[in-house]
Amino acid sequence: MPKFIRIDMGAKAVKIEECPEKYAGLAGRGLTSIFVADEVKPTCHPLGKNNKLIFAPGYLTGTSAANSGRLSCGAKSPLTGGIKESNTGGTFAQRMSKMDIKALVFEGLPEGDGFYVVKVTMDGATIEEAPAEIIGMGNYEAIKVLQAKYGPKVGVAIIGPAGEMRLTAANISFADPQSNIRSAGRGGLGAVMGAKKIKAVVIDDTGAPGVTIANPEAFKDASKRFTNALTTHPVTGQALPKYGTNILINILNEAGGLPTKNFRSGRNEWANNVGGETMAAVIESRKGKTTHGCHAGCIIRCSQHYNDKDEKYLTSGFEYETIWALGANACVDDLDAIAYADREFDDVGVDSIETAVTVGVAMEAGIIPWGDAKAMLDLILEIRKGTPLGRILGSGAGALGQMYGLSRVPTVKNQAIPAYDPRAVKGVGLTYATTPMGADHTAGYAVATNILKVGGFVDPLGKAGQVELSRNLQIATAAVDSTGMCLFIAFAILDIADGFNALVEMINARYNLSLTGDDVVALGKTILKAERGFNERAGFTKAHDRLPEFFEEPCAPHNVTWDFTDEEIDEVFNF
Amino acid sequence: MAKSIELRGFMELSELFRERGWNTPHEVAVPDTMTGPELLALLDVGRERVEVIFVNGKATSPEAATVAGGDRVALAPPGVPGPYRVLLGFKKMG
Repeated sequence: MPKFIRIDMGAKAVKIEECPEKYAGLAGRGLTSIFVADEVKPTCHPLGKNNKLIFAPGYLTGTSAANSGRLSCGAKSPLTGGIKESNTGGTFAQRMSKMDIKALVFEGLPEGDGFYVVKVTMDGATIEEAPAEIIGMGNYEAIKVLQAKYGPKVGVAIIGPAGEMRLTAANISFADPQSNIRSAGRGGLGAVMGAKKIKAVVIDDTGAPGVTIANPEAFKDASKRFTNALTTHPVTGQALPKYGTNILINILNEAGGLPTKNFRSGRNEWANNVGGETMAAVIESRKGKTTHGCHAGCIIRCSQHYNDKDEKYLTSGFEYETIWALGANACVDDLDAIAYADREFDDVGVDSIETAVTVGVAMEAGIIPWGDAKAMLDLILEIRKGTPLGRILGSGAGALGQMYGLSRVPTVKNQAIPAYDPRAVKGVGLTYATTPMGADHTAGYAVATNILKVGGFVDPLGKAGQVELSRNLQIATAAVDSTGMCLFIAFAILDIADGFNALVEMINARYNLSLTGDDVVALGKTILKAERGFNERAGFTKAHDRLPEFFEEPCAPHNVTWDFTDEEIDEVFNF
Repeated sequence: MAKSIELRGFMELSELFRERGWNTPHEVAVPDTMTGPELLALLDVGRERVEVIFVNGKATSPEAATVAGGDRVALAPPGVPGPYRVLLGFKKMG
């Protein structure tokens, strides 16, 4: 029976129990969300003693299945006040699965100001005082210190200075295979970890038994077909490895859905300067890596190593959404400056989407000029210093907008809206409005032909078919988030039905189950209903499922507006 | 009198355009209204290298595209990620 490990930071006690029966059939987002809905008081203060932080690998994490190394982190979000699942790569999840740990749960609050390191091994878990030198230290250096102390191959989950300050845009960073950084970025879960005074969790899988597979031959066959789907599809086999997610800059710009100057327009004239094609050329010219996997077993490898002008490593996981938020929405036409900002976000430990959107709001407020790269970097460095302005910036777009009396603040449920203008890409707008996570593009990411019931083409500028599309995307995504798979597998299983079948068959082979595609849909619905139920008990109503008023303004070049009625929006969760 | 379109190419097509010494955007003289396949033939770009043609910001299959002088046109090869191929109208679902 898998282990369920509870670390009580108040009592400084560790309890290792068999996985409770009610959680036995769950994993990944399904487990974190149903656990939070079940055990966390919805009205609790997110930084108080009653919130709980949970880490859970997915159904297939730790197996030989391609792209299965993802980890779900859950809690009540201090940013949104609702439930949160934040998903990450890195090495942590696979170690948990190989050690047969279903979940790590962090509860309670310790007294005093000291920070701790939680160490997880096959012998259990211990709570130790954190090395004094890593307090206030950036994540890159602190990971090195921890791996020097606990072993070069231990998995590390860590909060940066932003998490120590309990800022609501603080993330949890995870060491990747090269000891660089991946992040459970959204929703401020780093602040929850900081409130519990956990500077880091290290996991050492020495002596771990590894993952058991009930039907190895069936698993091997399904895994092979799944890998084949990923490697033969033009998105996952060619485009993402070469250009990363940043290929979307030019595509969204062309479609008129690339929010520019704090969502004033859907297109700009400089997009190509910060787009994936330019980025790939810069990386190659500086002897970086255009392709890199964020966890062992990743075969899509959409990450990269972006070097500076001296050919020294600067950042990785340099994603479209971050580049959009600074490069288009804040009008910073300077890819290197954006890369430095991305590194600082990772190092200080803040969500690069939330904080980059907040930079645009800071420009809206007149704190720094539009497009000023140097002023942008100086502003971001305020977070590390812990100045009042830095703390406001590190608390997200909603906080900064409130402090400066703005109404043009792109958030839903206080979480910043990412890189797709909801007026020109209406389906994603419905997802921003209705997902229990707050504005989140990945909440409606997964698509599988055999579970989508939408017929015909969907015009991105029109309303027809969008409610059903958003609903089905959210259901499918909630299910995929439970598998431990990277969501980008959806790019392949959209077109190659056998890839989706193989995914279900791998889960069946691992656990000796006989799930069907319908069961996967049912799981997605169960997760979404649990999440929405938590939010309702926390005080959320349909009135929170609305976009900011400024989206009633026309968005160039198509001059479209956000024109869904409240009744139409509410239909998304009518299932 | 011949008019021109403003042409862009994305992903691997941007590399092809660069190899040919074409600017971004590249100005292409067009005789009159053209179909998508006629445009690709004029540009000497294989059909298999293009999934959609954007005409004035709207994505369409090459076969359904109509291009005329003054248009802003972009070619996107197969490989645009995931749900955007549905959300932007690249992909028929069902």
